[in-house]
Amino acid sequence: MKLKLSFVALLAAVLGTAPVNAAKIRVVTTLTDLADFARNVGGDQVEVRSLATGIEDTHGVPMKPSFVPLLNRADLVVLAGFDCEHAFLPALLDASRNPRIQLGQPGYVDCSKGIDPVEAPTSTDHSEGDVHPYGNPHYMLDPVMAKTAVSNICDAFVTAAPQYAADFKKNRDAYLAKLAAKIMEWKAEMAPYKGAKFVSYHEHWPYFAARFGLDYVGTIELKPGIDPTPRHIEELIGEMKAQHVPIVVREPQFPEKVPALIAKQTGATLIKLPIMPGGVPDTDTYIKEMDYIVNTMANALKK
Amino acid sequence: MAVLASALVSGTNLPAQETNQPIASRPAGEVEQLKRQLQQMQESFARQQAEQQKQIEALSKQIKALTKAQPAPTTIPSPPPANIAGATNTVTPDQFRWLSDKVDEVVAAQKKTLMSEFNPAIGLVGETIFSQQSKGSAQNGTGYAGGFDAYQRSVELNATAAVYPFAKGWVVANGSADAATGETSLGIEEAAVQTTSLPWNLTLTAGQFFGEFGRLSYIHDHELPFVNRPMVLDQYVGGESKTAGAQASLLLPIEHYVNLTAGLGTQLGDDPDAIGTYRSFGAVNYFGRLSTYFDLSDNWNVECGLSGLFNPDSGNVNGVLQPDGLTSLTATKRQVVDADFKLSYVPLRDNQFNSLTWGNEFLYSDNQYLATPTAGGSAYADTVGAWGMYSYLAYKWSRSWRAGFLFEYLQNDQDGAARTYGYSPYLTWAISHWNQLRLQYTHTQPNVASGIQPNDAVYLQWSWIIGSHSHGWTQR
Repeated sequence: MKLKLSFVALLAAVLGTAPVNAAKIRVVTTLTDLADFARNVGGDQVEVRSLATGIEDTHGVPMKPSFVPLLNRADLVVLAGFDCEHAFLPALLDASRNPRIQLGQPGYVDCSKGIDPVEAPTSTDHSEGDVHPYGNPHYMLDPVMAKTAVSNICDAFVTAAPQYAADFKKNRDAYLAKLAAKIMEWKAEMAPYKGAKFVSYHEHWPYFAARFGLDYVGTIELKPGIDPTPRHIEELIGEMKAQHVPIVVREPQFPEKVPALIAKQTGATLIKLPIMPGGVPDTDTYIKEMDYIVNTMANALKK
Repeated sequence: MAVLASALVSGTNLPAQETNQPIASRPAGEVEQLKRQLQQMQESFARQQAEQQKQIEALSKQIKALTKAQPAPTTIPSPPPANIAGATNTVTPDQFRWLSDKVDEVVAAQKKTLMSEFNPAIGLVGETIFSQQSKGSAQNGTGYAGGFDAYQRSVELNATAAVYPFAKGWVVANGSADAATGETSLGIEEAAVQTTSLPWNLTLTAGQFFGEFGRLSYIHDHELPFVNRPMVLDQYVGGESKTAGAQASLLLPIEHYVNLTAGLGTQLGDDPDAIGTYRSFGAVNYFGRLSTYFDLSDNWNVECGLSGLFNPDSGNVNGVLQPDGLTSLTATKRQVVDADFKLSYVPLRDNQFNSLTWGNEFLYSDNQYLATPTAGGSAYADTVGAWGMYSYLAYKWSRSWRAGFLFEYLQNDQDGAARTYGYSPYLTWAISHWNQLRLQYTHTQPNVASGIQPNDAVYLQWSWIIGSHSHGWTQR
């Protein structure tokens, strides 16, 4: 009987159905903001690794084979969702041979659950560029929406290790309270600039703009994932001049040449804003990243 | 009856005068009175309908406003005010949640336009190649028609889906034209099933598929980094490593990436081996590959692999006449080993705009043949050792543009003295993820023993994708 039970336990462990008890929960996140949330919520009970280091494009994290063993051993994979990671995550999950973290399994933690997306296309025709069929996936740049991601991560941790549920919920509440206080600060800092206009390279900022009352005029990319044409640049410059747009945002992973040209031609200020923690120096946490974004934007608009 | 129906719909009580007596048999005054009542009730019904419509609209506006105010509803939103403008009933939080969920479901249903949500996901790849060869097809050794040619190399229809919770399946059907004759044929390139949840990191694939041998053999033509498959893969492997059989793949359960694959099939490459009335296990192709990867730094990495192919009795029945015209060779044993190595610079920050790749593959063929003198005499066994390789360097300097240079060397696997060199600079314009143009010049320089002529060729390749397209692991 004992032998039989041991065999069942071994089989369960091999098949990946063993409950997470003694060991830490092994969490792999796609992006660094999610890793930061996971560390804050999971505390000492989790071991968190992020595929991205922070300087990559959220859609273009290189598909390294060294990620495969990480994912193979993971209890949870945490992702932004809305197809944000479509260029690398599905293939990596496929290669990971880990049934626990496949789509539809409890170990597949889609943080977009509960987020109401903007810009959901009515058609996924490729003539619209590299569209995200579920809507714009860059909701993490709205700190209020980021709270939903934090809660989703907490829920997943509670499911994976219910014995630590109280700790996870306590950590979540503490982090959300900290975030709420920062949100008040950021809103206060941005309050004088309601209605301020800006453009960016990629369509990263609709949620941020809506949260802080900014007017997001357009993007340098012709369409998502499609490089700008000379005609598009010309039209964008015309539009910016007509609307007196004072800010051009360049995300660090995109080349500086065209944004700099547009800023020069329109007299706008060019600023570089990260899209996840670690995107620029001294932004290794989500709060530091948002601090940087809000401060940089506010300072540029002050001029 | 219409009055009754209206009354039921509107919830109004039936008039007191209502009887079961047919209208036609009643006095005229009573009929007129009933008609007036009917008209009043219809008007009342219309008013109530309009009022309810207003209530629905008011509720919808309320939901929209609340959704905008609270875009991240981690918890259930606060209940709306007790009396919504224009509404006569109180909306409870439960009712609000129910209605909100319904609206979400409708919105989600309207967004069901994602192509990969079809079952199966279906995509189509087209590839057209315009070419200009300096020599005719008999002398250029490329397989292309001589002079100018435009041909549709492939129209590849692929479909993939889960078969059940623990396996997936896929089919790739390819309509392609023969490069020399232009004749088009439709064939199944792949039709296979693969497990997804076997223990011990195992994956089992069965059916017809591209067996894992080498680095570029199991990649479809349109996914190659240059226009044509390297000569050495065409000759030693038979183009794509198409096999009909089974393959097991093991990801070693260690912290370092090491993958081991082993398979068997009735063919590996273009044509089945040992076609006949009876095939023993001694006449089957056995192949395997060991691959690994190293991060040299955040931006530099190396992938490498070792592969082997062995068929103890390939049993090809048709002898191939050698260029010297003196012997005809029939392959009896097939043995190929392969080593591949790829060094990549992929900067994390701007990898979509900048990268450098140096890819290499070396193959050694040690096939055994039965040599039959054409002038008569007894046949004898002959082992031909030959090796070939390719090496390419590709540099990407923007999201759309990259350029590369491919060098090839090949010893004929039936005559090691017959050698060919190939030089191919190329330029790729990836207009988008689904649309790409490539211009390539290739000079092939065979020696005299090869029996073919030096050739200069220019290729313009246009490949495009419609429908579902995934960024697969093998194409990374």
